[in-house]
Amino acid sequence: MQTETKEIQPDGQSAWYPERQKSLYILRQLVTRDFKLKYRRSFLGVLWSVLNPLLMMVVMAAVFSTMMRFSSDSIPSYPLYIILGNVTFSLMSDSTSQGMRSIIDAASLLKKVRIKRWVFPLEKVLFAIVNFAFSLIAVLIVMLAVGVHPTWTALLLPVFLAYVGMFCIGLSLLLASLAVFFRDVIHLWSVVLTAWTYATPLFYPAEILPAWMLSLERFNPMYHFVNYARTLLLYQQVPSAMLNAACAFCGVAMLAIGILVFRKTEHRFILYI
Amino acid sequence: MSSQTPTNWMPVASADYTNLEELGYVTLNIRIEGDVPAKRRFVYTWKSSNGTEHGQTDPQRLASFNFLPPHDGRFFLNADVTDGVGITRSAGMWVKIGDVAEDDFKRPPIPDDSAQTVIDVDDVSMIFNMASEQYNSLKEYFIALAHHELSFKEFRALDHVSFEVKRGEAFGLVGTNGSGKSTMLKIIAGVLEASEGTCTVTGSIAPLIELGAGFDMDLTARENIYLNGSLLGYRKEFIDEHLADIVEFAELKDFMDMPLKNYSSGMVARIAFAIATVAEPDILIVDETLSVGDFLFQQKCMRRIQELIGSGNVTVLLVSHSIEMVEAMCDRVCWIEKGHQRMIGPTDDVCAAYRNLGL
Repeated sequence: MQTETKEIQPDGQSAWYPERQKSLYILRQLVTRDFKLKYRRSFLGVLWSVLNPLLMMVVMAAVFSTMMRFSSDSIPSYPLYIILGNVTFSLMSDSTSQGMRSIIDAASLLKKVRIKRWVFPLEKVLFAIVNFAFSLIAVLIVMLAVGVHPTWTALLLPVFLAYVGMFCIGLSLLLASLAVFFRDVIHLWSVVLTAWTYATPLFYPAEILPAWMLSLERFNPMYHFVNYARTLLLYQQVPSAMLNAACAFCGVAMLAIGILVFRKTEHRFILYI
Repeated sequence: MSSQTPTNWMPVASADYTNLEELGYVTLNIRIEGDVPAKRRFVYTWKSSNGTEHGQTDPQRLASFNFLPPHDGRFFLNADVTDGVGITRSAGMWVKIGDVAEDDFKRPPIPDDSAQTVIDVDDVSMIFNMASEQYNSLKEYFIALAHHELSFKEFRALDHVSFEVKRGEAFGLVGTNGSGKSTMLKIIAGVLEASEGTCTVTGSIAPLIELGAGFDMDLTARENIYLNGSLLGYRKEFIDEHLADIVEFAELKDFMDMPLKNYSSGMVARIAFAIATVAEPDILIVDETLSVGDFLFQQKCMRRIQELIGSGNVTVLLVSHSIEMVEAMCDRVCWIEKGHQRMIGPTDDVCAAYRNLGL
């Protein structure tokens, strides 16, 4: 049976936060920590969050447009096409691969202090979103460079982030629980991510896929999310109801699965970490 | 290696006050129990109860030490005994010289039944499935599944343990290694669910967060204080207000903006203790984390803990396998051995029985 803890002093001026605020403050502290650690002692610091996707895009655009000769009339700007795919995908891959390890990494803490366990995977997703926000600056730079000026459709980005955020939180919760019981998941996930990178039209146009593969893309959540981002910033249209429904479904379903698995298993984490 | 078991010995300390009146010294006698090693070296140390004075002898063969106290008071006399193969074991005890005010060395009084119960452990058992501990990979799991070897050997880490801790007590939890102390502590802290029975805790709990848990080696001391404080649930404004107190207690003034990896483990323990005790928690959990600090700092911690106990609001749960600290501070002690509750009661009774275990 779970140890029952009774609060004594609900008066406003106590030294302690109530439960909910405590978790929020921990989240903030942890995101701040990760952010500081990521750029501490690097010369360009936070600029790397912008430079990194930019440089990646340059490499990929050079490789795929000159060597592989990928291009399509339907794509107004190939560099913008690539960077949007990349930043969206790395939002997912960063948050899940970090979130997956978060419970294991917090083992010594979870053995001692009573903290809401979901704080750790959630924090990693929030941190990835903060990084994503910085990489949007890189996207903006590319947009201005290639002459695609942002329109009001960019204002729908929060909707996009809500979809992807839910999906990443759900997936991170699921992977974090699984990784606690089976460490194999950690090794497997990097392979899955690599396969997923190729399975999603990030650096090639979707049209080059044969029809049967294109129809399979319907079941690839990242395909929808990447499409959504490109619709907003590259094609600058309002995403169709179908695309919205697909993204919302992927997000909500993944979140539900993640929460369910996490809640079912979290009380046994301590026996395995 | 010799054929006998040279390690099966244990020093036992006793004090002889017969020469105190005329010659002014106390004799600490060390007797070796078990297989007395052929070669023995003794190093004696002493320190006063407030830690300000201390001394040490050279290694010697004599199994007794005449201690000439510099003044009246309480002193801790200790002997480190090293045998021929380099194994060192210690024995020590407090001696009292002259009239010593009792408050120099105080335990809180044992509260009566009407006092508020803050920790209520009611018939708690903890059962681990040994099988569940063994499989760390899918492969191992499925191999075992295929061979029908998913047996569930039960291991009872705690077997029907019950006790109550009242507000304002300093309660000790003792036991040898692997006795179930840590398991009990985890259940009280609310991070582990008891298999059977209930545990109810009233109020806020402050544990000492050790190195590597709530600290990040690359962050500075200042950043770590905020991180650690948030993990304990402190308000940001509260940490802002009390930052100076924490820094002063942990003696870090000039090191605030240095990454923690450049700190000694004792310094980190000081920060952990300073953060945990800066507010008056309802329950303070003190465990082996404290033992990395030097004895001066341990004295300082003891004083702070006694201050907290003296306030009457704070309950201290002290967990240790060494009983010196427990004896010095606790009013009541629960002794757990191999998951069973061996004894519970006033400190002197339980500690005497616990001491006899090794004999």
